[in-house]
Amino acid sequence: MTRSRLVVLSSMIVVAVGITGALGALYFDPARAAVGPLPAEGLSLPGDTRFVMGLDVHRFVASPFYQRFAKGDGTARPQAFKDLEEKTGLNPEKDVDRIVIGGRGMDKGPDGGVVLVSGRLDRTRISRAIETESKGVTHENHEGTTVYLFHEGSPRGAAAAAFVDDDTLVLGSQPGVEATITNYARGQSPIRANAALITLLEGLKPGSTFWVVGDQSVLSQMPMNIPGPGGQGAVSLPPVKTVVVTGELDPVVAVEVTGEAADPKAAQSLADLVRGFVALASLQSGQRPELKDLASAVSVTTEANRVRVNLRAPYELLDALQPRRPPVSAAAPPTGR
Amino acid sequence: MTRDIKRPVPFGRAARAVFDLALEGMVWSRRSLLMVVLVGLPVLVAVAYRVGVAARLTASLTPFALYGDLVVFVYLRNILPLVALFYATALVADEVEGKTLTYLLTRPVPRPAILAGKFAAYAATTLSLALPAVLVTFFVLLTRSTGMSLGAGAPDLFRDLGVLALALLAYGALFTLMGVLLKRPLIPGLLFLYLWELLANLPGYLPRLTLTAYLRSLVRHRPADEGLAEIFGEVLPALLCLEVLAAVVVVCLAAAAWIFSTREYVMDQ
Repeated sequence: MTRSRLVVLSSMIVVAVGITGALGALYFDPARAAVGPLPAEGLSLPGDTRFVMGLDVHRFVASPFYQRFAKGDGTARPQAFKDLEEKTGLNPEKDVDRIVIGGRGMDKGPDGGVVLVSGRLDRTRISRAIETESKGVTHENHEGTTVYLFHEGSPRGAAAAAFVDDDTLVLGSQPGVEATITNYARGQSPIRANAALITLLEGLKPGSTFWVVGDQSVLSQMPMNIPGPGGQGAVSLPPVKTVVVTGELDPVVAVEVTGEAADPKAAQSLADLVRGFVALASLQSGQRPELKDLASAVSVTTEANRVRVNLRAPYELLDALQPRRPPVSAAAPPTGR
Repeated sequence: MTRDIKRPVPFGRAARAVFDLALEGMVWSRRSLLMVVLVGLPVLVAVAYRVGVAARLTASLTPFALYGDLVVFVYLRNILPLVALFYATALVADEVEGKTLTYLLTRPVPRPAILAGKFAAYAATTLSLALPAVLVTFFVLLTRSTGMSLGAGAPDLFRDLGVLALALLAYGALFTLMGVLLKRPLIPGLLFLYLWELLANLPGYLPRLTLTAYLRSLVRHRPADEGLAEIFGEVLPALLCLEVLAAVVVVCLAAAAWIFSTREYVMDQ
């Protein structure tokens, strides 16, 4: 064998070993692989999850949206974050990578949602803060994981929090949190059984700052009629089978909503309805000229049985839409408690 | 058994012989030394991040996000196209410049076999350089105790390896064609990479005229700050991307083989 072939062979061996190692990690990883933007731990959500939302916290915090609206004047952090950092050492702006919310349908009532918070979490400090700072907290052991229960025994059911691993905190109703822990511990991904939801997740535009997908079962709970323009009569909504929302916040606020109707005709009706509301907003431009810009920032298109609504709004437009606040007097007395 | 010297060497045997010859010339060359340094740069960044040197600079980046950035911005957009440019344009151009093409063309081997052997050597060399570097980058970053686990990132790694290999083949085929067509293909190649490929960031159908748009659509990483691409960036359907890239490889190689077979090369004295 020539020296060159030896080099190529050695390189291919390195690649083969690397791929084998990655395959091994994939196989033995309890949460397995991610689906679309849903992280691996998201696959442990309860099997009856009907809609999933995600927020990329880093992109959100880095966006002009956060700088303008969440942080107020751009210098002060929200007070709640300061308190949280003092008590738990957790700086949500830096330490949290993403938040995933799994909704279990409206029929579940207060048992509805499970929230997964992933990032660099100080497990010990957060656990201590839960135990010492919260009143009426009890804990139980579920599948070897400590689950903190809040308001246990209340008629609405207990809320729960637990670390499924060092990087992931799960919050929600007790049944939802317990189901997530069970799935995670056993390496099960029951959400994969919901083929429609998984297909929607796989088709999501990667890299969105926030996203939402919902299947037919959750949309069937939505009202079929909405009040008509000016509060006169009611407008019937064509049934929507699935809905997908993705959004970016930098450099402009860009939101894309895609709804799948039963057939092309229903999609056209839905698109016309949305266009009607956009036109209505445009008509108000006499009183508020910025509404005309907002209307022109929205585009509605149909493709077979899908309706796609795009909003691309610059921040100047959002500023213009904000209610004008009266100027604060410099001599205003300080608010004391 | 003796071979009938009036008949040309069969295509497979000829291509294999050219492959061995070209591989020896490619692997042990100063160009390869430069390319090793180039593909090794992201590995150095990953190591720096891992040991904490760059951690403060990249505090807002998770290891997986950094890996995604390195794949999209460094490997896919810059390093691999450059690697393809430097190797693939030289497949024939170097022989012409070194006046050694005559020795190849006067052998009883079919001309397409020469190009096939050389392109196979190009693919073997570049894949041997790039894929281990990507794997090392991935493992250095993802074996960090915090952030996404190794297993969770594995599907993206497999996808990335496939897309990067496809990038080397697609750019390689295109630059092979340029190398066969043009006497000095390096400057047009650089212009293609750093001017034409910028169309991928524009709205409408213009991105479909670039290779970057198809390759970028195939990887799942979508780094946040891509300038115009962030505004107009469109993710093309995966099947379309694969079809187009496969067509580029086939068409460019077929065109290169046809031109190389029919063209008369006159060596400057």
